[in-house]
Amino acid sequence: MGTLDTKSKILRDAGYVYSFDREVYFNRRTKKIFSLEFIEDHNENEIQRCLSENKEGEDWHFYFNFDPSDSVKREIESVLR
Amino acid sequence: MVERSVEDRLREEYFDLLPDIRRVAEHLEAKVKYCVLPISRKLDKYEQLVVTSRIKECESALDALRRRPEAEGRTFDRTKPDKYTLTNLNDLAGVRVLAFPRSRLIEIDQELRQRFSDWEVDPVPGYDKIDDPLAFKYYGYCEAASRKIKGELQIVSMLTGLFWEVEHSAIYKPTPRLRGVARSPEMRHRTREVQTALRAFEEEFEKQIRDSLKKS
Repeated sequence: MGTLDTKSKILRDAGYVYSFDREVYFNRRTKKIFSLEFIEDHNENEIQRCLSENKEGEDWHFYFNFDPSDSVKREIESVLR
Repeated sequence: MVERSVEDRLREEYFDLLPDIRRVAEHLEAKVKYCVLPISRKLDKYEQLVVTSRIKECESALDALRRRPEAEGRTFDRTKPDKYTLTNLNDLAGVRVLAFPRSRLIEIDQELRQRFSDWEVDPVPGYDKIDDPLAFKYYGYCEAASRKIKGELQIVSMLTGLFWEVEHSAIYKPTPRLRGVARSPEMRHRTREVQTALRAFEEEFEKQIRDSLKKS
């Protein structure tokens, strides 16, 4: 799985910021959100692959182990906007 | 009419449960103190065993429910308010046993494990998945006190337990939402360094005492 320290460095180097209230890493430019659980359960290569995925459109992209409900997505988006 | 928020429903539930929470904390503390009495009585002068109890405060309980590991994104689903209940928390009432030196921990754990054999075993994990657990932990019902809420029992080394108490009273008690800061990988790394230092301190202290007792 790699260490959490290494994975958090990969995310920070890619411009992601940690939101301590929601316990997610997010980037307003790429509009991607990673949950801590997802980061813990995926290795460095998988995280790198997610970072390089080309996502288009205005919607945020959630990298969670379990897809959040629309209501949860809306609330997180409104907090991170 | 304005619909009540998930948080308001949970606050109401908290105050309904409060008498049960208090009863469980008192009952569990008395039972644990009684169970460890044979160990307390034979402690050497330099050894310590302290039993404390606490009840989780309302806002901490709400925050703990929002931060459960299965709730990625730490957000209540407002379309499903009935999904949330504080009775899912295992630590509304808790008792902590602090012990020094570490060698007493195993003995206390063995004693309490026998007495609470029907409780779930749930050790406190280290700060990374590769780390040793930080404390022994159990949870279950004290049926004589309440059938609604569970109690939690932790057995932890003295310095680690006191570090948690300082951390809690200085940071989380005034502002429960700051718990997420401690969960960041960077803070987990720093906290692991503190834990490693405390453990080394306790082990060295214990070794020095053992060596000096052997010589005398």
